[in-house]
Amino acid sequence: MTANSETPTAPTLGVRRLCFSYCRGAAVIRDLDLSVHRGQVLAVLGRSGCGKTTLLRLIAGLERPRSGTIEIEGRSVSDSTGFVPPERRRVGVVFQDLALFPHLSVARNICFGMRRVPRRTRRDRASELLALVGLNGYEDRMPHTLSGGQQQRIAVARALASGPRVVLLDEPFSALDEGLRESVRAELIERLREAGVATVLVTHNRAEAESAADRLLDLDRRSQGECTAGSAGCDRLDSEARVGILVETQSQ
Amino acid sequence: MAAAVSLVVAVPVVVVLSSIFRDSGGVWAHLAQTRLADYAIGTASLCLGVGLLATSVGVAAAWLLTAYQFPGSRWLSWMQLLPLAVPGYIAAYAMTDLLQFSGPVQGWLREMLGWSRGDYWFPEIRSLGGAIVVLGFSLYPYVFFAARSAFLSQPASVLEAGRTLGRGPLGTFWSIALPMARPAVAGAALLVVMETAADFGTADYCAVDTFSTGVYRTWFGLDSVVGASQLSSVLLAAVVSLLILETLGRRGRRYHETSARSRQAHCTTLGGPAGLLAACMCALPVVVGFVAPAGRLVWLAIDHGAEHRWTLLVEHAGRSVLLGGTSAVVAVMLAVVVIYSRRIDSGLTVRVAAMVARSGYAIPGPVLAIGLLASLGWIDHAINDASAAWRPDAARPGLILTGSIFAVLIGYQARFLAVGLAMVESGFARVNPRLDDTARSLGSTPLRTLARVHLPMIRFSLFAAGVLVFVDVVKELPATLMLRPFNFDTLAVRVYQLASDERLGEAAPAAIAIVFMGMLPVALLSRIMSTPSQAAAESRRGARDDR
Repeated sequence: MTANSETPTAPTLGVRRLCFSYCRGAAVIRDLDLSVHRGQVLAVLGRSGCGKTTLLRLIAGLERPRSGTIEIEGRSVSDSTGFVPPERRRVGVVFQDLALFPHLSVARNICFGMRRVPRRTRRDRASELLALVGLNGYEDRMPHTLSGGQQQRIAVARALASGPRVVLLDEPFSALDEGLRESVRAELIERLREAGVATVLVTHNRAEAESAADRLLDLDRRSQGECTAGSAGCDRLDSEARVGILVETQSQ
Repeated sequence: MAAAVSLVVAVPVVVVLSSIFRDSGGVWAHLAQTRLADYAIGTASLCLGVGLLATSVGVAAAWLLTAYQFPGSRWLSWMQLLPLAVPGYIAAYAMTDLLQFSGPVQGWLREMLGWSRGDYWFPEIRSLGGAIVVLGFSLYPYVFFAARSAFLSQPASVLEAGRTLGRGPLGTFWSIALPMARPAVAGAALLVVMETAADFGTADYCAVDTFSTGVYRTWFGLDSVVGASQLSSVLLAAVVSLLILETLGRRGRRYHETSARSRQAHCTTLGGPAGLLAACMCALPVVVGFVAPAGRLVWLAIDHGAEHRWTLLVEHAGRSVLLGGTSAVVAVMLAVVVIYSRRIDSGLTVRVAAMVARSGYAIPGPVLAIGLLASLGWIDHAINDASAAWRPDAARPGLILTGSIFAVLIGYQARFLAVGLAMVESGFARVNPRLDDTARSLGSTPLRTLARVHLPMIRFSLFAAGVLVFVDVVKELPATLMLRPFNFDTLAVRVYQLASDERLGEAAPAAIAIVFMGMLPVALLSRIMSTPSQAAAESRRGARDDR
């Protein structure tokens, strides 16, 4: 793939008319559209419980949508005819609780996803990624010996190790204290843009979303709009309301 | 006081070990030349086989039942505990009867397929392989219980991270779930191996030469306590080295959760053939470990209905209940003493005493029995000598300790106090220490605090401890066999004797009585298991790693 990202044709991540509800509950996500191109960052805003994390889980393949399609690099990974399991989607996820493997060293955590990389070069690649997140020399440490900020950066390095096309970040800075947050965020976003991945960042902090992202998706306003639209199925919401939710805060 | 309790365990061990320096009158030399290699090979292969089988069955069932939902999975979850109700030796008797040449399975096969003797090969239960299968399927619930608690406590996100990093469901299990559960599984596997090393009835019936059967034969056949003690020392050394290996292996492998315990992994639903296959895989160990032996026993009991001597059965059951009940009450009281002492006094003496008392479970029954016979026998002789010296013409008091149920009761305490300690300790652990402080600051003495605050709060743990000890005592064969007074038969002893004489039909009612009592803790454990957080806490206590 060449670097002509100036003329994005098909988005790296495309979601159309996505609907989801947990088995007994009401719809959590209704008729959602979004698209993210390579090198772009989309921030998803909203209060807790409005379906932010669920959206990431749907994109990662950890939940099955009720209807709608999800495409990664133009290839459908989830629609009415098929469902690609998470291990075959090449989507990197940084979980809210980071989810580092407690029984593996830092290097082996990072190497975990490198199944395509030849065995011999894995270790070198892990060291490169550690250098990228500013933690050279931490290869043989165990996760529990690291600080919250360090663990967070390891989780990012691990998510990038498999060379994903899409990276999903679930409140990745919540473990960091206020002072550190800004610098880590700026640096991380810069790395993700350089790597040319499409990023979806979930946060409840509007300032954070606005400073980090190219575009915003506010699920709160959406869900309010939805509530007045009635309790019927997914197809009630008119497309105008949907378009209004995607606010361009920064032009490419 | 706690120190005195720990002597019950310490003395027999010291006596057994001191036998190394005594002269066995040629018995040891004889054993070393003829049997020792057989005992070593038999014990090692039995332990290895049972350990591997129980671990794979337990882990597989635990993973299927935590990660997936399929038809019957809820029922199958608690049914995995049922095999614990059937002691290995009873399972061996019943399975042999079921699968032997004249048994129903082979008979049915011959009838259906028109075979006759010599036309076909059929596995022999009374063999090393048979003993491994019988013990493996009767002990795997230990591994199941530990593995299930461990899997339940794993945060969902860690397993999901594995999926997003390119591993399928099976790959996630092998590379994440299983390694993370390894400390718990290893602890339970060790318990299984120790139970196997301590097993006497199954190995004896299946004609596998192990140290446990050797100790019994040396004592019973060669009438040599010293020789039996020396043999016991070898077994004890093996058990202790296993314990040390496990502790070393665990060092630095104590994983700390890096994720906040967010959410439990949610189950994937398996339907159709996959669900059916999973249900069959989880049902198989329950069938082999419980349904088949228990069902065969019931059938035998009904079939031989006319031969039963019910008054004798009631008499034996009464003795079993007497021994079990007394031991349970005493064990719970001693456990409260030891654990409460440690709570109010964290000095070295009390800590060491608690540790020693806890290690009794690791000492095989025959070894403990030999140690007690030697030490109590010595005290008995000393009493008689003293009485003879004091009033030479009076009647001798006789064997006060080894000739009464005192010896067997002491033996049970030494062996099963650990069970009571684990349960009572988990109860105390749930009482906030601030409550102790509050009661004390309100003018309550430590004893009054215990009676008014702790005991009412940990009622359930005390009850559970009592039930577990009771059942272990009722099931225990070698210690009962070796320490009981002359002609004092219990259910376990009766079953053993009748089965040794190939009179399984007559043994069935007594065996059913043991299985029935063995089902009490299953009900208890299934209650504990229904709340995962408590299950995790129990398993951590159960692993006894908080020394």
